[in-house]
Amino acid sequence: MLRITGGKVYDPLHGIDGQIRDICIHDGKVVDSVDGGRTIDASGMVVFPGGVDVHTHVAGGSINFARAMTPEDHRRTVAFIRSQTTRSGLGGMAPTTFATGYLYAGMGWTTVNEAAVPILSAKHTHEELRDVPIVDKSCCVLMANNEILLDLLEQGEMERARHLVAWQIWAAKAYGVKAVNPGGVAAWKWGNDAKQMAETVPGYTSLTPAKIVTGLAQIIDELGLPHPIHLHCNNLGAPGNISTTLETMKSLDGRRAHMAHLQYHSYGGDDWSTMRSEAPAMAEYFNQQKNLTCDAGAVLFGDTVTITADGPWQHLLYKLTGRKWGNLDVENETGCGIVPYTYRPSNLVNAVQWAVGLELLLLIDDPWRIFLTTDHPNGACFWRYPEIIQLLMCRDFRQECVTQLSEKARERVHLPDIDREYSRFEIAIITSAGPAKALGMPNKGHLGAGADADVVVYDEDEDIARMFGHPRYVIKGGEIVIEEGDIRATPEGREFLVQPSFDREIEDFLRPLFEETYTMSFENYPVEMHRIERPEISECIDVST
Amino acid sequence: MVLVDIRETKSVKASDIFLQIRPGKDFEVITILRALVKEQPVDESQVQETGLTLEQLQDFVDRMKKAKFGVFFFGMGLSMTRGKHMNSAALLTLAAELNAFTKFVAMPMRGHGNVTGADVIMRWQTGYPFAIQFGRGYPRYNPGEFSTVDLLVRGDVDAALILGADPGATMPQPAIDHLARIPTICLDPKVTHTSRLSRVHITTAATGISAPGTGYRMDEVPLPLRPALKSPYPTDEQVVRRIHEAVLKKPDWLQQGNRMALNQV
Amino acid sequence: MSQVTLRLKQTPDVPLEAENITPDVLSDLPHDEIRALKLQLGKRTFRIDEFFEVEGERSDQVELHGDLKRVKWLGRGMTRGRLVVHGDTGMHLGALMKGGEIDVHGSAGDWVGAEMKGGLIHVRGDAGGQVGAAYRGATVGMKNGTILIDGCAGLETGMRMKKGTIVVGGVVKDFGGLQMKGGNIVMLSGAEIRTGAWMVRGTIISMLPLKLLPTFRYSCDYNPGFLTLFARQLNRLGVSLPVSAAAGVYQLFSGDCSVPGKGEILVWQPH
Repeated sequence: MLRITGGKVYDPLHGIDGQIRDICIHDGKVVDSVDGGRTIDASGMVVFPGGVDVHTHVAGGSINFARAMTPEDHRRTVAFIRSQTTRSGLGGMAPTTFATGYLYAGMGWTTVNEAAVPILSAKHTHEELRDVPIVDKSCCVLMANNEILLDLLEQGEMERARHLVAWQIWAAKAYGVKAVNPGGVAAWKWGNDAKQMAETVPGYTSLTPAKIVTGLAQIIDELGLPHPIHLHCNNLGAPGNISTTLETMKSLDGRRAHMAHLQYHSYGGDDWSTMRSEAPAMAEYFNQQKNLTCDAGAVLFGDTVTITADGPWQHLLYKLTGRKWGNLDVENETGCGIVPYTYRPSNLVNAVQWAVGLELLLLIDDPWRIFLTTDHPNGACFWRYPEIIQLLMCRDFRQECVTQLSEKARERVHLPDIDREYSRFEIAIITSAGPAKALGMPNKGHLGAGADADVVVYDEDEDIARMFGHPRYVIKGGEIVIEEGDIRATPEGREFLVQPSFDREIEDFLRPLFEETYTMSFENYPVEMHRIERPEISECIDVST
Repeated sequence: MVLVDIRETKSVKASDIFLQIRPGKDFEVITILRALVKEQPVDESQVQETGLTLEQLQDFVDRMKKAKFGVFFFGMGLSMTRGKHMNSAALLTLAAELNAFTKFVAMPMRGHGNVTGADVIMRWQTGYPFAIQFGRGYPRYNPGEFSTVDLLVRGDVDAALILGADPGATMPQPAIDHLARIPTICLDPKVTHTSRLSRVHITTAATGISAPGTGYRMDEVPLPLRPALKSPYPTDEQVVRRIHEAVLKKPDWLQQGNRMALNQV
Repeated sequence: MSQVTLRLKQTPDVPLEAENITPDVLSDLPHDEIRALKLQLGKRTFRIDEFFEVEGERSDQVELHGDLKRVKWLGRGMTRGRLVVHGDTGMHLGALMKGGEIDVHGSAGDWVGAEMKGGLIHVRGDAGGQVGAAYRGATVGMKNGTILIDGCAGLETGMRMKKGTIVVGGVVKDFGGLQMKGGNIVMLSGAEIRTGAWMVRGTIISMLPLKLLPTFRYSCDYNPGFLTLFARQLNRLGVSLPVSAAAGVYQLFSGDCSVPGKGEILVWQPH
């Protein structure tokens, strides 16, 4: 039992905006009242629901490839020393699994969604997620380049496709569905890409990226997944790609979707030298589309490593940087590319990217529909979120940062003209309440009775980045895990899954195709339940529009 | 299929073209290929020392560029001969550079056992694939300094726990001598060269035959291992867990409270 | 002149990490605190006086005696002063150093002067591999400074170095100047194979003929002007480089074409 008293509470779901409230915790849940137990005097402190990361890459084949590629970064970063309660590990651009849990919890984030899992290597991802302590986890399975599914979509076999999608979600023990560069990754297997929504995907006769997107979005709504299609649009990172993104949004035609790392999809211009921010146009359109949510995918200047299933983009980035490049192809399902990268304020493209992320966060008017992410580790590492909070909450600081940009860059962006400052209430929405709602996790992101007792207590501090980077207490599932900068406990997190219903006959369809084209036996393909640490199966919902 | 080897092997029959190179010339051949891919000149008189002609190599490059999807498979003939990791690095670089023209990948054919699995797990837990040192309480990496064979050859360790490997059969003599000199504990289902020179040999159940587990294929795809038989012996995991529990009861040598190292050594 | 003298009492069984033994650390400390400085042996920390007899205090003139083959990281990151070693040293001697001088009357292990930025290291015996190199994964090795090895040097000498000078009196093993980006390597007794592999820029000067990769091209014979200047510099360090056109000529090879790079290898050809 635990009571947090006297703190200024920010619980956006219940409209609590800095009022002094007591938070009572019993049995890992927020309750109305408790008798006895420890009391934390939070007078003069700020109380938030635990942070929720809607889109991050912390476990699985691609981030693990990135770890292998960057020993030089591991050496210069913060190291976690083994103790009686903590495992050793390394922070940095691609933190090790144990360190990932400590770093997330250390800044008050208690739920993370691993955004890209191929079914074929899902066992690997879940094994890694088991080794990420403290935080609760979920993951999205990659689908929009799965050749068996693409064939069904091309043939218009929607019914069978729906059963297949449901079967695959359960096979991967996933929570949601991620579509990356629909059609483009499949084309990359042949060194091609799919850049136009209405153009046929190479290797197919009529299938277009638009058909893949709408087909999948439709199926996911029919299945009633708590989290809508998690969409990484085509043409990521390219100048002028706003047209592709808007086309994608239009093709969704009112269906639910979460647009991942929108920053990378909101550029104007014709080439690298004329690239500019189209954040205002994007925000204006997005504001009208109530069916959509998005996350920022913000960029911060500094070193990072970029990893994405978007193979063609990564090869381009390798050619641009001349640095290291890793590429993985995952049989018929997907692939990924890895390139270490440094974002520099002096670089015109990087400057535009930095500004676009912040502009979207500031110009999209409903904080319940845009969430704080950096597409970790692509735009920046997740442990730099407090820096973004400072940029959002403090206009003067932001304007000071704008002065780092070249004159030319400043002409391509709109940040200097934006005065909005986020309130703490709004920060609590974009870091916790909003993403929890978009993920369809009713017990996350708020402090009402029945919520999971994931609570963060901050000391009030004029230095916003310091305040949000160093919480005084972090409580996960009712247990104090961080106290005064020290890791006090490292409980295992849960994993959220969904089990949409499907017809068992789909296996009769799948098995021969699988045995013909895959290199493992069909029985070995699905992830067995015993591999999931503390699974929690979420209910599917009724999505009728 | 193009087969490159220093001698005719059984694989020659399966290949369309066999390129027989002189031993120890792998790095030279690959470096020439890298130059030819970029249409850079090479010294023809020296090319012949590799055992191949410039025409053969140019033809090879042309074929690679024309392929729709190429793959290099390479094994220990490359990574364990003179040049070692640089031979592998050369091939990986060549594969990366060929992607300017077509799709090309390179894949190592790993040694026996679950080498890839060990590599994958060490990476997610420590950031490094092998040659990791925990003396300071956090992982450090330096092949040549912390790799098993080098530590043993220099005699830089005073105890060894061997699991899923038989270094007594494969490592150079000075390394084997040192293993015999120090207290070596070996976990293995059967009697091996290593178990014979170990101070302690704990017989364990064979993973994949009588113990469950996960194996990582060479392309890092995990496969479940299901036991077909029962074993009277404990699994590797059970033994290691029991050793770990016993070690935990000993007084800890790490300072309390100091959990972060801001500057690594 | 005051100095700190450390005498190794006995050779440790496993490597001893001694990054605290640098002039920078010792110059500010009284005798007692020097004795209490930490060393890492395996998983445990020890006091310096458990392994060394300590004399003197507060000096950036440091002298070490004993068989230090297993002692690593001597002079790590030092910026000033002088470290003299009478005996062999272990790995990472003067790694990351920025200034000052190290003089070893004996041989040294791998990674001498790795990723160093300035200063002078003189090893009178042999050195191991990766002299002045980049650590694994890093793109740049030594950025400046001078390393003199009187004996032989191991694999990957000067790997990815960007600036500075390495002079090796004995034979250099394979991959000397691997992926070099700048700076100079002087090989007074030539090298084994694969010298200058994948070099991008920089200069390798050899007094003996080299077995070069097929991706290096002979350009011309010449006696470049800069060599006279460079030879004068080296002369001050006790190294003599022939520059007289009457005595011979340098053959210039350029490469490595596989990168493609603009490195230079100069091979002395006496008349």
